[in-house]
Amino acid sequence: MTKSWLSRITITFAGLASLLMFTWPLLIQTPTPNEANLAQTVFIGLMPLILLMVLAEFATGGIGAKQLALLGVLTALNAVVRLLGAGTAGIETAFFIIVIGAYVFGSGFGFILGSTSLLVSALLTGGIGPWLPFQMMAAGLVGLGAGALPKIRASGRTQIRRREIILLSGYGVVSAFAYGALMTLWNWPFLAGTGSSISYLPGAPIFENLNRFIAYEVLTGGLLWDLGRAITTTALVTLTAPALLATLRRAASRAGIEKLEA
Amino acid sequence: MTQFSLKASRVQPASWWLLGIASAIVAGLNINPVMLLVQIAILVTIILLAREYAPWSQSLKFYLALASFVVAVRVIFRIVFNLPDDSSPIALSLPQLSLNLGFGGNITLLGNLSSSSLVSATSDGLRLAAIIISIGLANTLANPRKLLKSTPAALYEIATAISVAINLAPQLIESLQRVRRASSLRGRSKGLGALAGTIVPVLEDTIDSSLSLAASMDSRGFGRRGFLTKKQIISLRLISLCSVVLTSVGVFLLLVATGSQLIALLLLAAGFLGILLTVRTTSKNSIRTRHKKETWLLQDYVVATAAIAAVTASLLGWQT
Amino acid sequence: MISIKDLTFSYDGAESPQLTRVNLEFAAGEFVLVCGPTGSGKSTLLKAINGLAPHFTGGNLRGRITIDNQDVTGRLPHELAELVGYVNQQPEGWFVADTVEDELVYGLEQLGFARDRMSAELARVSKMLGLQDLLDRPLSFLSGGQQQRVAIGAALAAGQRVLLLDEPTSALDLDSAAETVDLLKALAKEHGVTILVAEHRFHNIIDKVDSVVVVNNDGTVAKGYTHWSFEDDLRQPAIAGADVGEPLSPPSVEWALTTSELTVKYADQVAVSSATLNIKPGQIVALHGANGSGKTTLLWAIQGTGNGSKAVSTGTVSVAGFGDPRDLKPRERLRAITMVPQRAADLLFLNSLSEELAESDRFAGVTPNSTATIFAQLAGKVNPALHPRDLSSGQQLALVLALQLVKGANLLLLDEPTRGLDYVAKRHLAEQLKSLKSQGKAILIATHDSEFSAQVADTELHLIDGVIQ
Repeated sequence: MTKSWLSRITITFAGLASLLMFTWPLLIQTPTPNEANLAQTVFIGLMPLILLMVLAEFATGGIGAKQLALLGVLTALNAVVRLLGAGTAGIETAFFIIVIGAYVFGSGFGFILGSTSLLVSALLTGGIGPWLPFQMMAAGLVGLGAGALPKIRASGRTQIRRREIILLSGYGVVSAFAYGALMTLWNWPFLAGTGSSISYLPGAPIFENLNRFIAYEVLTGGLLWDLGRAITTTALVTLTAPALLATLRRAASRAGIEKLEA
Repeated sequence: MTQFSLKASRVQPASWWLLGIASAIVAGLNINPVMLLVQIAILVTIILLAREYAPWSQSLKFYLALASFVVAVRVIFRIVFNLPDDSSPIALSLPQLSLNLGFGGNITLLGNLSSSSLVSATSDGLRLAAIIISIGLANTLANPRKLLKSTPAALYEIATAISVAINLAPQLIESLQRVRRASSLRGRSKGLGALAGTIVPVLEDTIDSSLSLAASMDSRGFGRRGFLTKKQIISLRLISLCSVVLTSVGVFLLLVATGSQLIALLLLAAGFLGILLTVRTTSKNSIRTRHKKETWLLQDYVVATAAIAAVTASLLGWQT
Repeated sequence: MISIKDLTFSYDGAESPQLTRVNLEFAAGEFVLVCGPTGSGKSTLLKAINGLAPHFTGGNLRGRITIDNQDVTGRLPHELAELVGYVNQQPEGWFVADTVEDELVYGLEQLGFARDRMSAELARVSKMLGLQDLLDRPLSFLSGGQQQRVAIGAALAAGQRVLLLDEPTSALDLDSAAETVDLLKALAKEHGVTILVAEHRFHNIIDKVDSVVVVNNDGTVAKGYTHWSFEDDLRQPAIAGADVGEPLSPPSVEWALTTSELTVKYADQVAVSSATLNIKPGQIVALHGANGSGKTTLLWAIQGTGNGSKAVSTGTVSVAGFGDPRDLKPRERLRAITMVPQRAADLLFLNSLSEELAESDRFAGVTPNSTATIFAQLAGKVNPALHPRDLSSGQQLALVLALQLVKGANLLLLDEPTRGLDYVAKRHLAEQLKSLKSQGKAILIATHDSEFSAQVADTELHLIDGVIQ
């Protein structure tokens, strides 16, 4: 199921707008602290709306009962696995199922799976807050990207299967770091505020802010956290992909489940 | 039923969320620490008065802890990664250190902390704390299942997937434990290598049963859609495209240009209306009806009016 | 009412079609039993009528199906929702809503009924099924029989004239099963609903139906009004291999397993109290008991792992040649005792039968093909490229038995092994157990299938509320 080109442009714009809402501190030289502050507040309200919009765009007419059932299963599994892995620093188990599920069932499915996974996991742990729509969007983008990966599948030859797994675990590393960078960028002005030597400085040149951001990442241990996430994601993808891909593909072919692309 | 009551379950979950979001906006625009403290006190009072026993209503402590954490982090950041400022009296005097990470300039640590710096860190932190508790209010008081039921039809499928997932989660925990125990019988329950051996049987079972749930839903009519003409579909797509473009430009303007915030906010408002319109029109595509009508009672209007009034007042105050 | 012409259905990649050139006619108000061995096309036939096959099962359908003179071939299930009601195999775990009322109106909401018509239909269907007093009850508080009534009501709420039920009594106790069958008969007679029931536990339904459809393993179908010819064939409890299991005279007086005063507690609740039982090599002991009587807990306690981390067991257990299994290392424990849990398929996680067999040889450190040999003895010849989940329940059980037996243990614990097996598969299992017994294995079976344990067990014990009687 592929969306019309109008839909695709809409989704692209929505994606760009949301990326801007993450990366503005490093992309745009805002004039005053007051404006930065206003922007941050407005975005907290805007992100959920954009997210709703994209989800509605993906869901309209596209999701049948079967895809929905799989979405429910993978979301629940993700939330549960995340619940069990929670509390151990640097272990992030949310991504391997998103990556593998999106690769099998398409980019549209991946976006929805990414965002519902984080939502359900927040509902189960009571972790709902202003950061949630941002996490949902970032995880949705991770799923979207995984669904758009080139398909190297043919017969069950081991070499092809191995290449497929290398592709997925490579994407696991990249996406884990990208997700980490996006979320740290979001919480940087949020947590560190302004007015300290490693916090966001409105009006400063972009290079200056980049330096401060990297210092923030290093000094708060965010980078270590990202590294942990990347390692666990890759390890989990490598370990479980052969079995999970087979299981999901078997389910897809047995029940005649179509892909949901963007 | 008609009696006025502000208990959590007697007010529509959507009203609680409206109040929560409104309160977050008010907090976001507020820079007065005393007013922020008052707002937090009001929010906590509402939660304590309205809350009833429910699994989702027990997280007030979590939100309070998180809010205090955010305030503490802000203040500690200001003290540790201090930018010395000589224009106001010094509140705290600590030895100054300098750190070079190998890139950029030196980073100063500690040093003389001015009282104005300390006050602004505290009020920044309090603002975030108020935002967090605002969302916490909505999350503590609104029943998530009821909210899922009243989602607009455009998001019905996704809301259904989420409620399927919420129902499945406890079953999954049980099956994971069962399979883990069973796989110990085959000598593989330890370490990461056992992960596939645990997840695969659970996944196979759960997929089977949730596909049979899907079969039962579909057999009872899930998936029927109404009819939209081609013209309607294209205009719908155009409206959603326009609203997203408006929103993107609004976001950009808000960030770059000085003095254009008003235009930016107007664009964002237009985009917002466009998104609402799209969701509404898409919802018309659905033929689904509801057995129980969700009626807004007096308490809902009271909560909603309070929310809108608070936002309007603080927007007016912010402009002047 | 329903007319099926030249229906042929095959699953993707299957060698032979599941249903072959089926021609059937059903009148309005006819109450039909669809039976046949497990793995025959019983439920596929039902699913083809409302479009679940092929839309939810994959596969390829040819032929023509009409309902009420409408051609419904190839239509999607939700397009047929007003015509045909469908009740899943185990409705209780898979209700869509939380309360009876919400469950009953779910279909009406999906079909866009106006609110006043919805209330009228709700009143009609709750009266028809006697659910008036249960409407605001949460579904999880209902008994199995009540849940089945809700599922039937939900399938008929939109005024459907055709009702399909896939094994509606398999999860019910005998009384509720009989009640459900009477209810279905009344729906057919008094309300003119055409009802098709697929069942393999059919002895309590066969006297009530108007006609019987038999689906054979080769996909052909026969409809008849007398049933004795095939019933005798399937119902017969005789065991072909009964003479295989000539009990060996015990080689020594040594017990294969002895337990004394074995007590298992969860926190302060006693699950099993002072269990004392002894099994000789070459002896089969059946342990009876209702659900929740402590059978599973007792087996896990003997096995030594314990049922969940909170279970604490006291007393002595001793396995010949190994001592107390609770003191063994996990790997040694596997060589001392073989256990097959209630859901045998929980142990299967690879992508083909051959991979499972090879992995098992590697793990046990035995010569290649050892597991395959045991499996072939138990299950005969099976295509090694099959996915373990595509095996029949009987074959899955045989596979798990083979994986466990290859480790060489002489004590075998089986938890509800007959769950999901039909008569033929049970007979097969009985033969397998007798041949293991003749090899000198000691076998303990927890079961509530008294017919089965009468066939295989040398000794029968009863466990009531954690106490062996």
